Amino acid sequence: MISLCLCDSVVNIMKIKIKCFSQVKYALGENEIKLDLENGSTTYDLEKLIREKANGQLDDVSLRVAVNQQYVKDESELKDGDEVAFIPPVQGG
Amino acid sequence: MKWPSFHRSKGDNKIESKNLLGALATLRSNMIKIEIVNGPITPFPSNDDRNQDGAELVFNGRVRDTEHGKQITAIEYEQYEGMAQAELSKLAEETCRKFPIHDLFCQHRMGKVGIGETSLHVSIWSKHRKEAIEAMDWFIFELKKRVPIWKWAILPDGTKVPSECAH
Repeated sequence: MISLCLCDSVVNIMKIKIKCFSQVKYALGENEIKLDLENGSTTYDLEKLIREKANGQLDDVSLRVAVNQQYVKDESELKDGDEVAFIPPVQGG
Repeated sequence: MKWPSFHRSKGDNKIESKNLLGALATLRSNMIKIEIVNGPITPFPSNDDRNQDGAELVFNGRVRDTEHGKQITAIEYEQYEGMAQAELSKLAEETCRKFPIHDLFCQHRMGKVGIGETSLHVSIWSKHRKEAIEAMDWFIFELKKRVPIWKWAILPDGTKVPSECAH
């Protein structure tokens, strides 16, 4: 597990947990990442960050977003303590 | 043994958990059973007392020895624990609402599954075969679209890579 801080001030931050699976786990080399983000950050901001961290390994991978184990369709604002997963194409069966 | 009622009863919902690695959810009084298991699958028993069911349809998904033409030695299944169980249960409920079937039981295996072993086991009971076959096809199709479960291919040299299989 790694922790990152992406904000200048500790006043307006929220703590986010990212769960990594399949190609995301493979690209980032982590099962779970803990991040401090600025208040008001959204799922879109976080996805952009994750894709940057993956150094191009996720460029061709479509990712669905789940917040607190629920799929979210549109960009949504994150809250302190949220658990986020970027879900690569699933392969059950 | 008294077999579960064929009628849906919203008041009989209950959820049981087996352990941390696998969970058993029994919804609407035995109509839906979802198990995510970490060891070999134990098939759901057939039953001769289902006097209203003309069809008992069983599907076993098994691990092949190749992926995209490359040899593999096993598949390792990974789940988003909690969400996989919830999505699978939701999907089973949707299937029972969409098709006139009576019961739907499903087991999905996690962890390392050897070549030829069963990774997915689904049983559906209905009055006639048509609705069971259609429900089975839809259930598995949707499972592969939305339930957060993934495959890792184990290669002959022992390395583990995300599976490229999208079927």
